[in-house]
Amino acid sequence: MPLVVALAGNPNCGKTTLFNALTGARHHVGNWPGVTVERRSGTFECDGVDLEVVDLPGTYSLAARSEDERVAAQALASPEVDLVLNVLDASNLERNLYLTTQLLELGKPMVFVLNMIDDAERRGIRVDQGAMEELLGGPVLATIGNREEGIAALKALLASLARGEAAARCRPVAVDYGHDVEGELRKIEGEIRRDETLAATMPARWLALQLLEGSPAGRQAAEESHAREAIGQQVSRSAAFLERHLGQDASTLVAEGRYGFAHGLVKEVATAPVEDRKSMTARLDAILTHRYLGIPIFIVILGLVYSVSFILGQIPQNWIAEGFKALGSTAARHLPPGELTSLLVDGVIPGVSAVIVFVPVIMILMGCIAFMEDTGYMARAAFIMDRLMHVMGLHGKSFIPLIMGSGCNVPAIQASRTIESRQDRLITILVTPLVSCSARLQVYIVIAGTFFTPFKAAMAIVAMHFLGLGLAVLMARLLRSAMFSGPSSPFVMELPPYRLPVLKSTVIHMWEKGSLFLTRAGTTIFAGATLVWFLSRFPGTANPQWTQEYVQQRQAVLALHLPQAEAAGRLRALKLARESRIVNSSFAARIGKEVAPVLQPILDPYHRRPEAWKDVIALTAGFVAKEIVVSTMAVIHQASNQTRPGERLSPLQQALKDHSGLTPLTALAFMVFTLIYTPCLGTVAMIRREAGSWGWAGFSIAYGLVLGWGLAWLTVVAGHWLGFA
Amino acid sequence: MRVQAHGSIRQRLLEMGFIRGARLKVEKLAPLGDPMELVIKGYHLSLRREESGCILVQRVA
Repeated sequence: MPLVVALAGNPNCGKTTLFNALTGARHHVGNWPGVTVERRSGTFECDGVDLEVVDLPGTYSLAARSEDERVAAQALASPEVDLVLNVLDASNLERNLYLTTQLLELGKPMVFVLNMIDDAERRGIRVDQGAMEELLGGPVLATIGNREEGIAALKALLASLARGEAAARCRPVAVDYGHDVEGELRKIEGEIRRDETLAATMPARWLALQLLEGSPAGRQAAEESHAREAIGQQVSRSAAFLERHLGQDASTLVAEGRYGFAHGLVKEVATAPVEDRKSMTARLDAILTHRYLGIPIFIVILGLVYSVSFILGQIPQNWIAEGFKALGSTAARHLPPGELTSLLVDGVIPGVSAVIVFVPVIMILMGCIAFMEDTGYMARAAFIMDRLMHVMGLHGKSFIPLIMGSGCNVPAIQASRTIESRQDRLITILVTPLVSCSARLQVYIVIAGTFFTPFKAAMAIVAMHFLGLGLAVLMARLLRSAMFSGPSSPFVMELPPYRLPVLKSTVIHMWEKGSLFLTRAGTTIFAGATLVWFLSRFPGTANPQWTQEYVQQRQAVLALHLPQAEAAGRLRALKLARESRIVNSSFAARIGKEVAPVLQPILDPYHRRPEAWKDVIALTAGFVAKEIVVSTMAVIHQASNQTRPGERLSPLQQALKDHSGLTPLTALAFMVFTLIYTPCLGTVAMIRREAGSWGWAGFSIAYGLVLGWGLAWLTVVAGHWLGFA
Repeated sequence: MRVQAHGSIRQRLLEMGFIRGARLKVEKLAPLGDPMELVIKGYHLSLRREESGCILVQRVA
């Protein structure tokens, strides 16, 4: 059994950098059981001892008010953790030590790391490590996580603790809360000790303090005890006594006691920082959060991130898409036509491709976001945008996912990870799919280009984007008031000093995001793509007679010995005809005919379109990825989507114009519906992963369908009323 | 200084160092006027007006 070391500390104390330095690449990421907070654990070996390191979410406290705090408190109190490694930002000791006072109450052996000691020294702070060790009752080590200084010493120390050698350096230390509070604490502890099972699961003093502070987790733990009434009565008696006697409520007294300890300790062991008004951070902030310059600079940075992710990311994305397309057509050429070939060519290969194309964009965008987080700019971005987002009922940090959503919703939803509050994060995740992405743009271009003049088409496309953003705002407000009636989480956000990020950490982060996407969301996307393939290809593709006819027709064309270009053209037409025949008789078509009446009010309000069911097939296929709506329409209408030189409309657009029966008004309704009807498969898979349940993924599909139908219907009704057809 | 809020906001502010006798400085307002940047216990913090309204302060030069 390796010794389990838990890393605890404030956000921005360099915990993750230290974790990476300790474990190198030997770690894996998962979610904490039951929650979506990431769990990273890794191992390392030193002097023949195996150690396991668990990275906990960075928190300011263990009062268990947020999900992160609950996870951290639960993990730290659990018996599997043998040792707590408290990472402290050496240049901000007092605030960091508040958490330490809570960790001390857990009664586990502790090691303290003064991280980023170089920053502190630059600010003129000197720390007496010996004195600190004396006062905290555990070994104190100085490190510089990003330069891996002090890591070897830390490893050696942990290894010697694992062997039980340095145990003498660890002894319990208690924070003194003053005579009155201590007296009441003893009374509560006495009540807790009456329940032996409760007292065995966690230290009585820890629980007594949690109860006195009114922490939900503490109350929950006490609730399960048979002595809960006696404990509860004692807690309320003590709280009332303290308030009467000291004129302050218990949680203030406890907080003051903790800060008193931290303040005293800092005074004892550290020299005061030399006030330096011209620090790097102050100078940068003077520009980056400047009254007038702040917003323009933010917009420029955002534009940069957007172009790097979605324009630069497009390049490898195209390679991947082209590569898979080439693979598919090679396979199609060399394998006999039939259902197995179709499974491979139309199901598996596009399915895998649909998963992998996301990886470059995800990795680049996550890299950019990690960079902004690590430098400290993300907090400033939230600071700048919070006013605007607060009006929408969201958090300043929701701005970036919403904007990135216009490139692709999938990485945008992943980007919402930076929002600490679960409520805010969930609302952001649920409204991001309403932001129109680049895949939907392809559908608008085909439809609007067919039914509108170029100028009106451009206006319609722009309108779609504004409609998406507007709906996101509206839904965010609605969701906030309907489902999360509690007060929105307090916006208490640290603005950490600017730091240069460590390349290694950023690269590890990018790699983790990419591989997590492949393993977690990838399987869902693949399964969904295969299902849609089945629905749109069966039973036709398994019809041996059709296959035989197709083979014969091909041979007939080949036997004519036509010039190569003409033969190829004819073969393409044959292939398209076969596909069209399969798709138009598929299960999806049957479903389409069943579902068409439901969509009739929006796509065929005047009952003039016998072929409205074809739209349903295209929309069903579009569930895999919205751009597939276009390629499916090409198959259904047996018309190529390639525009011939010199013509404004592609054969598909011409076919839509001549035969589909869509009018400009119903075409607009179709665009509105495409915008909203459901997030694509990749987005749904990502929602499931980030929100942590199929329930939310299902909800996003359902509300999309309802909202999409409603708005498309409104478009038709309003348009009709205004005299459009 | 004194925190007059209740519930989770109060607890969070206490944890962040808003306790009796602590010194704080309003550094600046965000470009849109809200939130504000405060300096307390040697670090920088962003707080909305809504939440900072419950903090009772006394001017000390």
